[in-house]
Amino acid sequence: MTAAVAPVAGRELSNPPSDGISNLRFSNHSDHLLVSSWDKTVRLYDASANVLRGEFMHGGAVLDCCFHDDSSGFSAGADNTVRRLVFNYGKEDILGRHDAPVRCVEYSYTIGQVITGSWDKTLKCWDPRGASGQEHTLVGTYSQPERVYSISLVGHRLVVATAGRHVNVYDLRNMSQPEQRRESSLKYQTRCVRCYPNGTGFALSSVEGRVAMEFFDLSEAGQSKKYAFKCHRKSEAGRDIVYPVNSIAFHPIYGTFATGGCDGYVNVWDGNNKKRLYQYSKYPTSIAALSFSRDGRLLAVASSYTFEEGDKPHEPDSIFVRSVNEVEVKPKPKVYPTPPA
Amino acid sequence: MGKKKKRVSSKVWCYYCDREFDDEKILVQHQKAKHFKCHVCHKKLSTAGGMTIHVLQVHKETVTKVPNAKPGRESTDIEIYGMQGIPPDILAAHYGEEDDEAPSKVAKVEITSTQLVGGAVPRPLGIGFPPQSTLGAMQPVYNPGLAMPPAGWPIPPRPQPWFPQHQAVSVPPPAAVGLVQQPLFPVQNVPPPVPSATPSASQPPVQIAPPGLPSTVPAVPVTQPLFPVGGNSHIPPQVTNFPRGPSLSSPGEQKVSLESSYSVNNSTGNSYQVPPIQGGTLVNSHSYASGPNTGGPSIGPPPVIANKAPTTHASNEVYLVWDDEAMSMEERRMSLAKYQVHDETSQVSDNYLLLFRPNGFGVDLSRLTPLVGFTLQFFFKIQLFSQCCIIIEVLPM
Repeated sequence: MTAAVAPVAGRELSNPPSDGISNLRFSNHSDHLLVSSWDKTVRLYDASANVLRGEFMHGGAVLDCCFHDDSSGFSAGADNTVRRLVFNYGKEDILGRHDAPVRCVEYSYTIGQVITGSWDKTLKCWDPRGASGQEHTLVGTYSQPERVYSISLVGHRLVVATAGRHVNVYDLRNMSQPEQRRESSLKYQTRCVRCYPNGTGFALSSVEGRVAMEFFDLSEAGQSKKYAFKCHRKSEAGRDIVYPVNSIAFHPIYGTFATGGCDGYVNVWDGNNKKRLYQYSKYPTSIAALSFSRDGRLLAVASSYTFEEGDKPHEPDSIFVRSVNEVEVKPKPKVYPTPPA
Repeated sequence: MGKKKKRVSSKVWCYYCDREFDDEKILVQHQKAKHFKCHVCHKKLSTAGGMTIHVLQVHKETVTKVPNAKPGRESTDIEIYGMQGIPPDILAAHYGEEDDEAPSKVAKVEITSTQLVGGAVPRPLGIGFPPQSTLGAMQPVYNPGLAMPPAGWPIPPRPQPWFPQHQAVSVPPPAAVGLVQQPLFPVQNVPPPVPSATPSASQPPVQIAPPGLPSTVPAVPVTQPLFPVGGNSHIPPQVTNFPRGPSLSSPGEQKVSLESSYSVNNSTGNSYQVPPIQGGTLVNSHSYASGPNTGGPSIGPPPVIANKAPTTHASNEVYLVWDDEAMSMEERRMSLAKYQVHDETSQVSDNYLLLFRPNGFGVDLSRLTPLVGFTLQFFFKIQLFSQCCIIIEVLPM
């Protein structure tokens, strides 16, 4: 087992992918970590034991991955395929295809379907129980205004963020048309969207070092709570360097969230109190992805150059798994005036 | 015993940039870091004047403007320290603005105050009201609905009918502060500014505050600007026994900030506190670690500014690490040769750029432009797919 780079950065996983990491996810059932990479592989690690448990090779870069249950998962490939992966047997097959690279994949427990978003401007739903092949598995195709960049699920809601700053909110029970067609409240390209664990809204990040906190409730009262904040910026020599915020991850228990940007920092925020709770020390390179474990005790950080400055020499791509301290993620109680006696 | 109910809606604020803070200590730290810092050696001075003198004597340079100050507030001649030294008209204008933006706060305070009244606060009840009636005439702005609240403030000074002036101020409770501010100032003259220098209280009510105040208040009012005037320096500590209730105002403040324009900060603080109107706070003392700047909450409606983040007073240029709106980082990365996908039907050619629009017919010309520039450096391989309809060839030049 490799020694930790530094106790603060967390333990570095051994056998990381050989090229950029596009996404990583913790399982809902264990400390297994699924990692998709630009080196065309999907790897399954046991994060606590720091052991590589399985590896799948695809035809092209893998842009996203997700778990189905602890023994299987799905991957989204730049070779336009959506694949089903069975870990125990190391087997995989193609669930279906898009017409362009598949950018995101999610599995919804609510409806038991796989949802994928692609640069071909469509969202597709698949039934994973079918035999391999599109004709058996494709449930529906839903066209989007633009290329899909990020999707997120909570309960029966699906949020889709596309190019051109469009945001569609779907009710999974009725996909025929979006429940809400919105526009990102940030003025710059959307990078990542994540729903709050409590299902009341979603956080949206852009390439301009900003995160917007939005709510599903379209009433005046609901919308009055929304706000946005600047983050992942550096000020030096009289100018502000503004980094894209690549990833957002919500703590499953506290509802606080971590953001990772191209500046190599991970910040943890309390959305209700509008404060930053913690900032982890700088990682070697851009943060490509973040994921909290199901109990919120571990945070996996993919420190992997995301090509924001083109193809250039960069730090090796690595994955850090750090134990999370309560003080870093627990919201602080609001300070109220002493109540009248 | 009735606890002192303090209105926090008006926090201390910085004369130079209008940002608000929880207490004066933090305000002072902010001023030292943002406005009184030498741009040459980064030494923090205690006043703007001190800073200019330092720069002149040590670096032989003349400073004419206070750094990071809003236009109109850049003069180095005005002696400001924390909340002391702010010219009365600016002070009035500031709280007058607060008026317009926080009607909700008024309502909130009103509600809680009425509860207080119902509680064990006998004294004010008896004494507070009579002055009220006289006040009715004095403050036409007085909201009848606010009749109760004043009594709700179990503040000893109330009973003492000393400064009729002050009473006038004190009664229109903290709740009414927002409403009554403007008319009050002309009446009040000076007193408010002093107490308001304290971190906790809102303006007039502050006088109500500590019993100790009355004795010093009369002395104070006269001096404006407050600067190192002996008597004044005692005031703040006395008033700080007000319980601070940031949350009271925070919901309101949230609203305030939501209504106001997009955050205008170039803050280097590390927390993004609600602090109102400007929507940002420099709270360096709260930083957990130094790191990237985090600004205050900006609001949904996006800034009108094109490529510039809302950093007005600091004339910082903004450099976006990723500024390609047309493509995402992954799409750009995908276009590199090493990531091209080869399947059975693909041909490999180094000299052609193939553009296809998989979902439809024809070529998506709108995507041509950004890629053409890119192709000057790269040769693309062709991907042929069965659904592809029309192909165009572009020879890179």
